[in-house]
Amino acid sequence: MAQARSVALGLQPTVFQPRLEALSTAKSWIGWSGYVSPVMLESVEFEYFAIRNQSTLFDVSPMHKYRLTGPDAERALNRMVTRDVRKIKPGRVGYALWCDEEGMVIDDGTLFRFAADDFRLCCQERMLGWVLEAVEGFDVSVTDETDTISGLSMQGPTSFAILRAAGLEAVGALRPFDMAEIEPGLLVSRTGFTGDLGYELWVENENGLALWDRIWEAAANWDLRAIGYEALNIARIEAGFIAARVDFQPVLTAMRLGRGRSPLELGFDRLVDFDKGHFNGRRALLKQRTEGLRHHLVKIELGGFQPAQDALLYHRKTKEVGHVTSGIWSPTTKRNIALAEFKAPYGGGITDDLWAEIYSHEEGQWNRRLVPVTVQDGPFFTHSRARQTPPNPF
Amino acid sequence: MTQPQTRFDAIVIGGGHNGLSAAITLARKGKSVCVVERSLHLGGMMAPEYGLVHTLYNLRPTVMRSLGLQLDLRTLPTVSLCPDGDHVVIEGSRARMSDGSPHPKATEFAKLHRRLVRFAGLLETIALNTPPKLSGGLTDTETLGEMIRLGRLGLGIKALGKTEMQEFLRVLLTNVHDLVVDELGDGPLAGSLSADAVRGGFAGPYAPGTVFTLLYRLGAGGNVGVPRAGMAAVARAFEDAAARAGCSIKCGSAVTRILVDGDDQATGVELADGSVLEARAVLSSAGPAHTVALAGPEHFDIEATRRVRSIRAKGTAAKVNFQLKGLPSFAGLPDELRGGRLLIAPTSAGVERAFNPVKYGEVSEDLTLEMVLPQINAPEDDQNLSAIAGFVPLEHAAGWTDEAREALGALVQRRIEAFAPGFASLVQSREVFTPADIEARTRAPGGHWHHGEMGLDQILTVRPTNGMAHYSMGVQGLYLCGAAAHPGGDISGLPGRNSALQALKDGAV
Repeated sequence: MAQARSVALGLQPTVFQPRLEALSTAKSWIGWSGYVSPVMLESVEFEYFAIRNQSTLFDVSPMHKYRLTGPDAERALNRMVTRDVRKIKPGRVGYALWCDEEGMVIDDGTLFRFAADDFRLCCQERMLGWVLEAVEGFDVSVTDETDTISGLSMQGPTSFAILRAAGLEAVGALRPFDMAEIEPGLLVSRTGFTGDLGYELWVENENGLALWDRIWEAAANWDLRAIGYEALNIARIEAGFIAARVDFQPVLTAMRLGRGRSPLELGFDRLVDFDKGHFNGRRALLKQRTEGLRHHLVKIELGGFQPAQDALLYHRKTKEVGHVTSGIWSPTTKRNIALAEFKAPYGGGITDDLWAEIYSHEEGQWNRRLVPVTVQDGPFFTHSRARQTPPNPF
Repeated sequence: MTQPQTRFDAIVIGGGHNGLSAAITLARKGKSVCVVERSLHLGGMMAPEYGLVHTLYNLRPTVMRSLGLQLDLRTLPTVSLCPDGDHVVIEGSRARMSDGSPHPKATEFAKLHRRLVRFAGLLETIALNTPPKLSGGLTDTETLGEMIRLGRLGLGIKALGKTEMQEFLRVLLTNVHDLVVDELGDGPLAGSLSADAVRGGFAGPYAPGTVFTLLYRLGAGGNVGVPRAGMAAVARAFEDAAARAGCSIKCGSAVTRILVDGDDQATGVELADGSVLEARAVLSSAGPAHTVALAGPEHFDIEATRRVRSIRAKGTAAKVNFQLKGLPSFAGLPDELRGGRLLIAPTSAGVERAFNPVKYGEVSEDLTLEMVLPQINAPEDDQNLSAIAGFVPLEHAAGWTDEAREALGALVQRRIEAFAPGFASLVQSREVFTPADIEARTRAPGGHWHHGEMGLDQILTVRPTNGMAHYSMGVQGLYLCGAAAHPGGDISGLPGRNSALQALKDGAV
């Protein structure tokens, strides 16, 4: 008997997949929230250096996007996220985290404010059920725009120049975290995941390919490159950005007790506004602030040049006190860098005499090395052009 | 002219008996308290204006003393009616036939009843206190106190002796039908215990957890009483005690908002006329969901509001009041016994069958009834019969239209007529309150007299829901003090009293 199948099996193509498919020589794909997404299109090295020296296009369509509209949208969101939503003005984007009632981070994402009563929450994890619960009792309607809105992240020093060449010079007026409907149906935000100059472009699915082609043609003289996840990952670690399921376990996906992390433990004190009134998890976070954190997620620099992914961390070379969550050799800063989670007080109160145990495998032989670890404030990579408004052509 | 007082130590929302109980407890500790009541009279579900309550069984002498309630109660015998006239009279642990002959299971009943009352007594220490939290270590004095109380419960269970202890642990979570029918066989005697165990709740006697609800009812010993001055005296006693304690009372003032400041602290209430009463403590005897809505959901965690939305509260008891032009006689029952509490629950299995249709929004033809003749000593031509009818759905499959309500009234009347021939000819008028009517009038969630089902998932440390069992609703200074809170409904005054004591202990008042 034939069975009706309402949900297609396997990974689904995004709107941009025909262009990505044509550009891919590596044929290296991964699944991202049910969509096909490139690990790399050609080589990680080319793509990474394009982020830092040229411009890149990364398909962010699989990001989950929830539209919240209605007179209570601000009130409901302000209860849901830890920062003060009232301070995000229309036309602005805010980075935000949200917690469960125990103060453990459910996910982080960007909150786009279109109007007093109109928001879009853009995040990594599927969140519809949670958002619907969060607006229960409020006059807010929620629309899941994940599958109807496509997104392109255009990042790199020449990104403004290319957009200008594509006839979108108006984006030059956008300050970091500004957004505007640059043309009817084309939303551009000055946001990104690389710590450099860049924009994200959002359109209805049916306008996606036309947007891609328009940018691609305008970039003929600027060597624009489509990129995959791997190159972006190097750039985001350099910028010091955390990734869900990598640097922290979104608490709703954690089965085991105690695997969640609070925003304070992830180092986001400045995004937790205890003075704005109640928000989800506030009571638990106040208690944690008083009683002490269990962990510290921090940026570290390591000795040597061997990437430290997953390395265990030690105090005085003997006591195990944490592990590396994201570790790379940073090609731009020429440093061995990582994000690492320490058990408190290490990485917080105690930052001296810390070591990482790094294993390397070379042609059948394992080497183990203890390298010194230094805790670092601020991002590894910054550049003044990331904030300059209007930006230079490069 | 002096301005009316607008600042208090505590504000109590709802002038039901639990609201008053909380207010009296606080006022007797020297706190200034204002009770705000939406309707024009006090008493909540037991207000004489509603006529919903016709007996008392869970009002402990200790609570009456601590609240200063002055009530002269007399105990009613229970008469469990039987269609063939073999009615059973129950007084405490004694059961006999209504014709004076001994009940064949009198010994078994006495043993079972005494055992259940003893078991219920063990749970008293839990009912009289906030449920244990055990969040601190052994060095924490509060936790130590909880441990000691639990230890006493453990010792009490141990002191029952091995056999009784095993029996306590065996029956505590089981169903009442198996317990009573095993001991007594099925009949009016078993039916009376089963009907008592499930009255008002969304469960038949075959459901697990119904032994617990029976024990809950037996917490004060199991005697059923009424004030000699009539049920209206109960509300009046609470009102008088509140006045003596110095509580301010505002009737006819609906709270439209509970005010909470930016630091998660309750600061007072806003009334329908726009005026504001200030207090650092607000105790709400309204249902949890209504209380959340009054404060605004943004003051509660998302999970907490989800749990509050999911509280099971579907009342199944309807109230029917008959105005009569004469006293009814029940077939085979000596007239001097009709002043007791009259039950129509001829078998325990029949109680279950009466429950079944409720699941589908329907009403059984063979309703279970609890009846009293409250004015039996008044002139013969000015009588009424007060009946609590189970089981009646909150949501009628066909909707609670006037016709459906009338049909229910007629059904109850037919059911009584079957036991009291000629009853219909005495009826001058009748009033019918379905659970939906009760909810509309009193705002009790689901018209449920416990404001929330007394299921195993909604008692003790998870009453009304996980995270709110210690009366505090999360917002500093905001407490639940109604029947939804531990230990539960009935005219006991305990949720209100316990909540007030907890607020005092927390330093919130």
